[in-house]
Amino acid sequence: MKSVLKPLLILFGILSGLYIVLFVVFFFDLDGKALFYGVEPFLKNHYDRMKRKDPLDMEYRTDTEKYEY
Amino acid sequence: MSKPTVNTKAFLGRAKKIASDFWNGKPHEERRLGDLYCDKTGLYKHREWRGVKDTMYYFNNIWLYNYAHMIGDMVKYSGPKGPVVFLKGVWRYRWLGQTYLPVMHWFDRGLEGMRGETLRASAWHYRAMVSETIRQFMRMLDADQKTGGSKELYDKTIAHDETVWGGIFYPWRDRMDDVPLQMIPYFVTCHVNNHVVLNYIDAAQSIGLPGDPCPMCQAEAGIFLQDDVPEYYPIVITSNEACDGSVGTSVLQDWMMNRPLFAMPQPMQFDDPLVQEHCAKEIEECWKFIEEQTGEPFSWDELKKHLERQNKLQEFEWEKWEVAANTDYYPINGVAQALYRIYQSQDGDRDIWHETDARVKKILEKCVEKKINTFPKTRHRMIAWSCAPLYYSHWCTWAYNCWGLNCVINMDSLMFNMTIRTDTYEHTLQDMALYHEWAPMRRMAVGGMHHIFELWEYMEKFHCDMVMMYDQLQCKGMQGVHGLFEDEFRARNIHAIWMPHALPDKRTVSRSEIRGIINDYMTTIMHEEPLDPTLLEFDDSEGW
Repeated sequence: MKSVLKPLLILFGILSGLYIVLFVVFFFDLDGKALFYGVEPFLKNHYDRMKRKDPLDMEYRTDTEKYEY
Repeated sequence: MSKPTVNTKAFLGRAKKIASDFWNGKPHEERRLGDLYCDKTGLYKHREWRGVKDTMYYFNNIWLYNYAHMIGDMVKYSGPKGPVVFLKGVWRYRWLGQTYLPVMHWFDRGLEGMRGETLRASAWHYRAMVSETIRQFMRMLDADQKTGGSKELYDKTIAHDETVWGGIFYPWRDRMDDVPLQMIPYFVTCHVNNHVVLNYIDAAQSIGLPGDPCPMCQAEAGIFLQDDVPEYYPIVITSNEACDGSVGTSVLQDWMMNRPLFAMPQPMQFDDPLVQEHCAKEIEECWKFIEEQTGEPFSWDELKKHLERQNKLQEFEWEKWEVAANTDYYPINGVAQALYRIYQSQDGDRDIWHETDARVKKILEKCVEKKINTFPKTRHRMIAWSCAPLYYSHWCTWAYNCWGLNCVINMDSLMFNMTIRTDTYEHTLQDMALYHEWAPMRRMAVGGMHHIFELWEYMEKFHCDMVMMYDQLQCKGMQGVHGLFEDEFRARNIHAIWMPHALPDKRTVSRSEIRGIINDYMTTIMHEEPLDPTLLEFDDSEGW
């Protein structure tokens, strides 16, 4: 009985601890702060440096099929 | 035993008040929500304490639930590979990476100050929009040839302008799917993270296009100019998105998409029976185009099934309007009402809307049965008219918290005020034509004098005593009727606040300037005091 209870208690303790940590993250808006100051600037920098195709290089065709029924 | 001294009594009174504030949350006038903001960023020093029950509801059923479902939905819609597909998309597309991540802050902004059933019902609306957004972008990514998506899915996905109603594609819903081009990359991004769209507006102007047309048209062209549209569709159905600027955008898009395109613009004179006939014929032509391009035949049974399901959504919307119009028990706040309704009615029949409506119906019935006054600090019932600022759609949450202005209903909610007959093919086609014509912007904003002035009728129906009159500075159509509205407001002795904005572009009129305009009206014209003075002025210029 004791050998079953112990891992359950440990699991309960870990889950409770995780729940409390998540509540702290929620309450102090730590998710928002991490995204605002960390993730978003990193991603912005990546997007700004990304090589992109220039769509204006494409030929502008006016002889395309007309779909009339 | 000695009597308690004055100090002991004061101490006990204070302890009782602290305990009550902890357990129930502070009364509206003592919340000081403005003190929670970090300067400029709009981040929170700490999130609002709403009392034990509502704070734990927010933490468990909104924050944790939605973060978990944001991952769960990727798997639901795309299978076990969903999160990997998503990460590839985040790495490739700016609109995805910068918008998806701060989505819980979008909830925070819209649900600030909400309590009890209002918090719950409004949050379910937000949840549905997030889920449907994930479904759409996962389909885009699963079929995207730029990021290694499936060619088979690519062949079975139709793209369309966001103002082409999803119902046009019902006949193929059992075999193919349809995803609007701009709903997520443009429309949703503006609400969730208003910085993203500025890249696309600037991209359009950087090639020499003028800056004075509607910034929506500029942004939608800019997404293509930045090569930021997933390649998920072999064919596309476009409309005129009901404005001349958007017609210009369509020319650019046609150039850059370079694939079979069928255009079915929403006509201006949609009350004319001849125009109705023309529009119905165009829908049939569109169906022939899809059959010809995909080799998949039209299915009447499939069309009828989805239209009948969509009619159920409309019937519940009418129930909601009934409660909103005639009671104080309506549990959905202004921003949740507006965004959910325009999203759902344009998107068409999807499972998530039915699931959400079933949940909200229970809450709505509870509020009515128990006579719960859902917005107890209401001083004025407002109707919002014309097109809203996308970067500040949550203004109504702020306006209620600060001034007790309760935005009961808005123009975009009222656009698709109809069910569709399914008894005969002819009736169905007639009604579908009308629904298609009643597209966003076309139905009222640029739908002619008679329709834009439906305001007076709805004001009466919803028992509103004030109007929030949106003033889209770059919409040539609405600028044309500005003076007529001024005259009517004066003649009818209606309190109307003009809210200038440039739809997605926060640089023209900032959120702070919008608040300033409302503050000025409420103090100088209405001679009222704010409910929460900390919300009068704050700087959120860098905020999402």
